[in-house]
Formats: sequence, C-alpha cells, structure tokens
Amino acid sequence: MSYPFWDIEIGYGIIMAFIAVIHVFIAHFAIGGGLYLVVAETIARKKNYLLKLQFLEKLSKFFVLVSVVFGALTGVGIWFIIGLLNPAATEILIHNFVWAWAAEWAFFTIEICAALLYFYGWKKLSPKNHLIIGWIYFISAWMSLFIINGIITFMLSPGDWITTGNFWDGFFNPTFWSSLWLRTGICIMLAGVYALFVASRLKADEFKKRLIRFNSLWAIVGLAIMMPTLVWYISTIPKEIYDAALESKLTPVVAMNASYINAMLLGVVIIVFGFLIPKRYNIVVGTLAMIFALSWFGEYEWMRESVRKPYVITNYMYANGIDVAKAETYQEEGLHEYIQFKTSDKPADLFRRACRSCHTMDGYKPLKQAFDGTDEAFIAGIIMGTQAIRGNMPPFVGAEDEAQMIASHIYTQIDKRHLSEIYNLEGTALGKKVYDVRCGKCHVFNGFNDKSESLLEITEEDIGDILDMAGEFAEEMPEFTGDAQERKALIDYIMSLNKKETE
Amino acid sequence: MLPDSNFLSVPLWIIDTLSIVTLSLHLISMNFMFGGIIILLFGKFEDKWNNPIVEKFIKLFPNAMAMTVSFGVAPLLFVQLVYPQQIYSSAIVSGWYWLLVVAVVIIAYYALYASAFSKKTDSRQKIYLSIAFVCLLYVSYIYTSVFALAEKPDLYKLLYAQNQGGTIINPDLNSYLFRWLHMLTGAVTVGGFFVALFGRKNEPAFAVGKQFYLWGMVASIATGLVYMMGLGELMKPFMKSPAIWLVLVSLVLSLGSLYFLFKKKFTVSSIMLAVSFVSMVTIRHIVRKLALIDFHDPSTMAVNPQWSPFVIFLIFFVLAIATIWYMLKLFFGKQK
Repeated sequence: MSYPFWDIEIGYGIIMAFIAVIHVFIAHFAIGGGLYLVVAETIARKKNYLLKLQFLEKLSKFFVLVSVVFGALTGVGIWFIIGLLNPAATEILIHNFVWAWAAEWAFFTIEICAALLYFYGWKKLSPKNHLIIGWIYFISAWMSLFIINGIITFMLSPGDWITTGNFWDGFFNPTFWSSLWLRTGICIMLAGVYALFVASRLKADEFKKRLIRFNSLWAIVGLAIMMPTLVWYISTIPKEIYDAALESKLTPVVAMNASYINAMLLGVVIIVFGFLIPKRYNIVVGTLAMIFALSWFGEYEWMRESVRKPYVITNYMYANGIDVAKAETYQEEGLHEYIQFKTSDKPADLFRRACRSCHTMDGYKPLKQAFDGTDEAFIAGIIMGTQAIRGNMPPFVGAEDEAQMIASHIYTQIDKRHLSEIYNLEGTALGKKVYDVRCGKCHVFNGFNDKSESLLEITEEDIGDILDMAGEFAEEMPEFTGDAQERKALIDYIMSLNKKETE
Repeated sequence: MLPDSNFLSVPLWIIDTLSIVTLSLHLISMNFMFGGIIILLFGKFEDKWNNPIVEKFIKLFPNAMAMTVSFGVAPLLFVQLVYPQQIYSSAIVSGWYWLLVVAVVIIAYYALYASAFSKKTDSRQKIYLSIAFVCLLYVSYIYTSVFALAEKPDLYKLLYAQNQGGTIINPDLNSYLFRWLHMLTGAVTVGGFFVALFGRKNEPAFAVGKQFYLWGMVASIATGLVYMMGLGELMKPFMKSPAIWLVLVSLVLSLGSLYFLFKKKFTVSSIMLAVSFVSMVTIRHIVRKLALIDFHDPSTMAVNPQWSPFVIFLIFFVLAIATIWYMLKLFFGKQK
C-alpha cells in the first residue's frame, strides 16, 4: 500500500514470465554447463583428445557470451521487474534475506571472474590451472543456486518463519532441499541437451558419435536426478497449498502433470538418437530435444509460480501485494484510506490495488470477457466473494462500498448489451453461457465445487427458487441478477442437463 | 502474529559502509569503461585503431562491463534495503525507461564484445563503440533521473497522480542536469587517468590520457560546484554536515592526483584518486540522507540483528576476494 502501482496494458504475469523464463533457462544452463565443461575437459586432457578440447574451447566462448552477458543481465532484470511489479514483496525479501542476497552476490562475482578467466585461459593457462579455474566457476555458480533457492522456496513454503521470523527458518524451509536437488538435476540435463544441440551440427564421424554419447549421458543423468526429485519436491509442498491448487484445477498444475510426457519423450529421443544411433543425431533431433527440455522446464516454473496463489509469500502476503496481517483492518476501515499513492479517480485506484496485479481489462486474464453482458450488482457480488472463485484468488480486502466502486469502474468498460446479443445465442446455448458467466466462476459441472448433485431431479420451480435465493446460500455467493430471458435460458439449460443425467 | 519485515538486520553504519565501498567499486569500473569509450571515440590517438593502447582498452571493455554490472548489484541491494519506498516509487513512475536499462546494457555489452572480437584494423570498431556509448549515455541519464527523483517524494507522488503508466522521466531537470554532467565528466576524468596509466610507456597515448584527465577534471569540478550551488534548501544542512569537509578533501586529493600523474608518479596519484573517489561517493550518500530526512530517517529504523547470516556473508565476501586474487595469480603467474 506504500507504493505506486505500475499500470500497464501488458499483464504482469506475461512481462514477469518473459524476463524470468529467459533468465532461469540461461542460469541453469550456466551452472550445468560449467560442470560439463570442466568434467569434459578433465577427461579430454587425460586422454589427450585434441578434437574434443577444440570443441570445448568453442563451446566455452558461446557459454561465456550467453551466461556472463545475458544470464547476468537478465538476473539483474528480474530484480528490476520485481521491484516494479511487486515492490512490497521485494522489500520483504530484501529486508529478511539481505545477507543471503549479499552472499549470492559474492559468489556471482567469483563466477563472473572465473568464467572470463576460464574462457581467456584456454591458450594462456596450464591445463591444471585452467581446470582449477573451471572448478571454481562451477562451485561458485552452484553456490549461487544454493542461496537463491533458499529465497525462492521461502516464497512458496516459509515454514516456521511465519511464526518465528528467523532467517534460518525461512531459508531452510520445507521445499529447500528437494528444490535444490531438482534444480541441480535440471542444470545437468540442460547442459547435456544443449551440448547435444551443438554437437548435432557436426559431421557424422567417429568424433561425433563419441561426443553425442558423452553428451547423452549428461542429459540422461540429469533426467534421472530430475524426475524423482520432482516427485520429492511436490511431496514437500505444504499439502494445503498443493491440494488447493489441484482442487481449483489450476491450469499450470494440469500442464505440469501433462509435461511428464515431455520428459518421457526427451528420454526416448536421447536413448534412441543419443545412444543407439548417435551419428543420426542431427539438428532436427537436437532442436526437438531442446524443445522437450525447455517446455518441461517452463511448465515446471509456471507450476511453481502458480501453485503459490493466492499468495506471493504464502500466508504472509497476497499476490496483489496486500499484507495478510493487515487484511482485516482494510476490510473494516476501507482499503482506499491506506493507499498512499492516489489519483483523482478513487474507483480506479481501488481497482488497480485489488485487481490489476493479475488482471487486465482486455488482455491477460481479462475481466471484460468475464463480465460482458452482466451488471454492477453481479460484479460487486463476485468481488466480495473472490476467495471462492476457481483459480485461488485472494479475498477482497476492502469495504463493501469499495467493492461497489470497483464494480462500477469495471462496468463502465464492459459490453453492456444482453448476453444473447453479444454472443448471438438463444435457448439452452444461451443458458449455458449464462451459467458459465454467472455460475461457472465458482461451480463447474463434474469439476471444481460441483453442485450438479443438488440440481439433479429437481423441478424448474425448484431451480427458480434456488436462483431467487442465491445470495442467501453463502456469504461469498452473489444474487442472481440476470433478467427474465437469462433466467429462463439458465433454467432450461440446467433442466436439459438433468434430462441427460436421468437418461 | 506474523513477523514484521520492516527492519534492518545489522546496525545502519555497517550497511552505509558496505554501500559506499561497493558503489565506489562500481563507479570506478563504470568510469574506466564509459570514460574509456568516450576517450577512444573522441581522443586523437596515432593510428587509432592500430594503436596498442587503444587495442588494450578494447579488449578490456567487456571485462570492465562485467565488473561494472557485478559491482553494481551490491550498492543497488543496499540502497533498496535502506530506501525501498523512495527507490521503487521513483522507478515505477519511470517504469518503462527504468526497465529498458536492462535491454540497453545488454546491447552495449554485446557491442563491446563485438568490438573486442573484431580485427584491430576493422573500422567497424567505431560503430561498435558508438553503439555502446549511446547505450551507456541512456543508462547514465536514466539512473541519474530516477535516483534524483527518488529524493523528491512530493514530486513523484504528484507525477504518479498524473500518469500511472511509468512513462514519465523526471521533469525537474534543473535538479539533476549538473549531477548527470558531473558524473559524465567524472567518467571522462577517470578514463583519462587509466589511458595515461596504460600509456605510461607510450608518450603520445600518455599525452592523450593526461589531457583528458586535466580537462575532464576541470569540467567535473565546474559541474560539481554548479550542482552543489543548486542544492537550494539543502545547502544550509549540507554546509553544516561533514560533507562540506569531504568536498575539500576530494578537491585537494583530485588536484594532488592530477599533479602526480603529470609527474608520472602513478601509485601516489591512484591512491589520491581512489580516496577522493570514496569521499565523493560519501558526499553523495550524505546529500541523499539530507534530502530525505523529513520523509524517511534511516537511523530511526528498527534494528533486528541477524548476526549469523551477516558473519556468513562476511566469510563469503572475504572468500570471494581471496578466490579472485588467487585466480588472477594463477592467470598472470608462471604456467607449469
């Protein structure tokens, strides 16, 4: 509440993902790649394998250019963007973990120096000294991961910190170790898949065959560490958080589950083309393996970020930057009073603070489509009951009249025509749309908060009665405010479902 | 009851010291790179793109960029720790320009690598360095504008009330134009010092460095004094603070450094330059404190010590210095 709100058309989720995804891909690759380079160099030097040394030297040039420049700066970019998108949460992370950040910076500095010296040292350094610097690079890069992992996992599972406020309770939190080993596996897998991609462009000879097999071993070892540690990681996520995400059928969790296929496909590609027919590991296969690997990783990161909803720091701060501890005060005394950066438009200020962190009107997670064809009373009712909506939203932490103001603000920007006109529907098709818009946000047939059983074998009059009393069933449930045409269409739609069920 | 996160985990003086030391390191690396680029572009070197001193600088620029970025992370962390509300609020008001800094630095970085990897006779050097120059000019301007705005809470509140899209650049140019120019001329000064140092056995290159050091310093002192005169209401508390003595110390040491550089006594000259640099960073630190004292006094922040994480950081910090020293020794030492 102490910060201005950066009001941009692009969804916060999109802009954050754009920077973060690039960074995590490169950062993990930089760690695994460091280990790959130093181990491969050790072996190549022992066997005096010159071709491989030349390959590694070339690889290290690209490695330095990508990791030192792009990796480091997108890392700084994450800092910039979290400060813009959620300064309150960033402030919490900095105040509580400043010495972890500072220690990470110390390792980051070693890492950067070592990467540059390793790259420039191919011709200048003795093999022994070159390898020493290579190991220093890898160890410092992994230590950076160790430290950052403590802060990232804290956001999902703050553990005992939530009661003690102790640094170590927050740092070594319930998901710390599982996440650390999972990410270590990811680093190794990515290094292998990337080295395979580079090797895929070589001409199909004996050298390529040996190199592809060597790189495949990395990718497989990475996968072998990754998959069981992923299961371990999921098991360490506090049960109430994971169950809530599953219950609301959070898309990323579903996508994550589906992504096991990605990992399996990656395994198959590597076994077949990497071990059995390595000379056939061409650029197409290399690209395919990269796509499988990065898609899997992207889905994992998406799941990890989303499963935390409705919080940015579990049980401490909501995703919209509102402190859990102050929620009650805001509800009693009103949110607007506590907003320090105000404009002359009170409803817009409230809307930004309560909704805009996750929603845009017409782009990312759009509210316009969600409310087109509805009315202010309905929108206000939904706002007052956000915590009941599918998708794990934070509760609205303002006064009732403020919810009304936000509703009016949204209402001015939606399509005010009748639902039948907007979507050109009638009959049960219109009824289905009415259900989706007015009921489906909280009740999904055969899904989230399913109420189909209570609607079975009842009459049209009973359904009408339910609609009339909708606002009385639960505090978070809005009244049915649709007109007679919508009401009839909705009843017809539910009756048609009843009919199907009884048949 | 949930833990309160609004605290400092060590006494303020420790954070201030770390902040000043790391910001000084950042600025020295930045000045070497930025000032060096300006001198290479505008300096009159003999057979410029084949000149060994020029070549040396071009090879070192990407490493200097790496150090600038790396040393820049720590002071940014510490200033966010002490002044989060002011820094984030100001950054949000200029959100898009602030975020663009990252992309622009990446472009500058790759331009410097392109320059370092291209052949020394390549005339494209000028293009690469010009790209890096323009990018860094942008970064320096936005940094100055955002940090100057952070010292004016009333102004950024007003600006936010007018526009919430993060498309405003600090309009109070009078308050930071000379601050920015002082920083630019300071970069040229330090760049000149390094050109002279690297060219100590190459008389024409030494002469170029010397000239830039001299005139850069004149311009830097002039812009610095104009900036100081423009402090307005802050002038009185500024004169009463230790900052005024540090101004004198910086001036004397800078002129001393200039004198010894002309005499080619580089060790004394560099020590004087380094101390005057730290003094100037400390002045900057004090001015920010004075500007914000009515809005946020860091000395009133609760201190809730986290000694064990702090000691571990110190161990890692020393380890980092030792490891880097060790690696450099390996790199430049005799190879078996």
